[in-house]
Amino acid sequence: MRLHMLVLKDISRRKTKLGFAVLSVVIAAAAIVAVVTTFSAATEGLYEESNKFGANIIVRPEVTTIPLVAGSTSIGSLSMGENYIEESEIPKIYTIKNNSNLAVVAPRLYGVAELGNSSVVIMGVDPEKEKNLKSWWEVQGHWITAETPEKTEVMVGSDIAGPLGLKEGSPITLSQGNLSIDAVVAGVIESTGGNEDGYVILPLAASQYLLSKEGKVSSLEVRALCNDCPVEEMSRQIEGVFPGLEARSMSQIVDTEMAVVEHTQSSAMAVSIITLLVSTLTVASTMLASVNEKLKEIGIMRAVGASNAQVVSMLFFEGAIIGIIGGGIGFAIGTAASSIAAPMLVSVSPSPMWEILPLVAGICILTGMVASVIPAKRALGIDPAEVLRSV
Amino acid sequence: MSDNPVSNSPVLENPVLENPVSEKPEFSVNPEMPANPEDLSTNLIQVKDVTKKYRLGHNEVEVLHGINLEIKDGEFVSIMGQSGSGKTTLMNIIGMLDRPTGGSILIKDIDITKKSQKELVEFRRRTVGFVFQQFHLIPSLTAYENVALPLVFAGDKDDGAVASALERVGLAHRMHHKPVELSGGEQQRVAIARAVVMKPKILLADEPTGALDANTGSMIISLLKSLAGEVTVIMVTHNKELAAYSDRIVYLKDGNVAV
Repeated sequence: MRLHMLVLKDISRRKTKLGFAVLSVVIAAAAIVAVVTTFSAATEGLYEESNKFGANIIVRPEVTTIPLVAGSTSIGSLSMGENYIEESEIPKIYTIKNNSNLAVVAPRLYGVAELGNSSVVIMGVDPEKEKNLKSWWEVQGHWITAETPEKTEVMVGSDIAGPLGLKEGSPITLSQGNLSIDAVVAGVIESTGGNEDGYVILPLAASQYLLSKEGKVSSLEVRALCNDCPVEEMSRQIEGVFPGLEARSMSQIVDTEMAVVEHTQSSAMAVSIITLLVSTLTVASTMLASVNEKLKEIGIMRAVGASNAQVVSMLFFEGAIIGIIGGGIGFAIGTAASSIAAPMLVSVSPSPMWEILPLVAGICILTGMVASVIPAKRALGIDPAEVLRSV
Repeated sequence: MSDNPVSNSPVLENPVLENPVSEKPEFSVNPEMPANPEDLSTNLIQVKDVTKKYRLGHNEVEVLHGINLEIKDGEFVSIMGQSGSGKTTLMNIIGMLDRPTGGSILIKDIDITKKSQKELVEFRRRTVGFVFQQFHLIPSLTAYENVALPLVFAGDKDDGAVASALERVGLAHRMHHKPVELSGGEQQRVAIARAVVMKPKILLADEPTGALDANTGSMIISLLKSLAGEVTVIMVTHNKELAAYSDRIVYLKDGNVAV
């Protein structure tokens, strides 16, 4: 028989009481595992999603905004620079070094027009190219086609279709100043949660006519089809051929979203760490109660030859056992919880992160051992002569 | 105070005693020990001017007032006295479960009160064995495991010592039973086996029959008597009849050896 067998036999005798200590470690470990698993999956999902859409690059005019101040009073701001891209210059994008990675270059023109008594945002697009980019849009009706002389087709977002009672085949008139276009609704885009829910989408040429912006576009959406292609480098190449334009890669946008995810993750992790601290106190409290209950046994052990180091190591071993059991169960529960919660919270289905199991186990063992410090000090303070005399 | 405290200590003649457990030792606790009490000549333990004070709140209480005592190798000594006379305190100090406030304890002429904590742990492991009134067995362990405890803490291998000790107290057949499955007498015999498994020089028994009926108590005393010679037995008791089994009785009164 060895020292650790003594501890294991003692634990098996006091299963119920030590169960509470294990439970507190389980809760802390489960919280940490659930947070790490969920947010790791969210991060991975975000990148996968960005890759799925071809690591897009958005090209638009670089606009400098200068605040206008009179004395100490702000009187507005002044935007400097060209707000549109010349449509005739778009082909220059194919001169970049990585032009073979350019799958789609879709121009867009944004503006505001009147629809009945309402002002709506209109987005002029190249229907074929836009369909390549937004293939997941669900359209009640059909996608707009190339413009025909006698009839202009538009698609409307769900936020506009509902209030205005528009559906496939509804005739509409869009106007801007003295200009107007008679069109027919080709389809209604089911809600995507994006900006398009509030747009009227029409062929580029029609939008240019209506907005009096012939030959101009607001931005280019570039889909780079590649695996691990140098999106940042491509952005720089595009800026090189379009002086005065800004090419922003989706990875930058993803990074911004990632910052939000990481901030949320940090908050959740902070809560988990607090849980871990509470768990440490609970384990310490349980073990201290255990030491108080075992004063006589510790006194006997000291009388029959246990050294201080052996008494302390037995308590540390007990703490480590509580930690490892709690950590193991907590990992399983945390993983199960994240597989249920993550699809609802961040729309991803995480896989078990076996690679963090050793780390979780290590943290939980450390928790148990740290929690053993105060009980160990208490055990060392026991006077065997006194406790054996008093029982 | 006398230079020879032993000569001042009251001594009772050893009564005729039947040994219900064993007439002769089945194993030698210490081969150097004389088997025959008549051969005893060496002082194993010398208690010199030992005092012990306890602090009770703001007050200091002196429990032992300069105890002097010499105990020979293999001797069976009973310590008697009224409650609060300092019997258990003296026994704990001889076993170094407690430290004296003053004076010294010499074991084989070595002052153990000057030893470090680490050396005292080793002293408790190999030189003394304790038997308590309430047996003090670990409830989660079997009889065998309880007896093996001192070996575990000393890091010694069990080369048959545990089985031999249990056999010596007549409990080899109960070695896999837990304390709750044993009678009071059996539990105390397990405790005695635990006390002698390391073959110590000194066996300290504090009221070893206090929680037992008279018949069982006699058996335990007989067992201790059978061990005396191999090991020096110091027993604290209130019972004069049981104390009469010992080679000598030392009376304590108000923290002094009664003259």
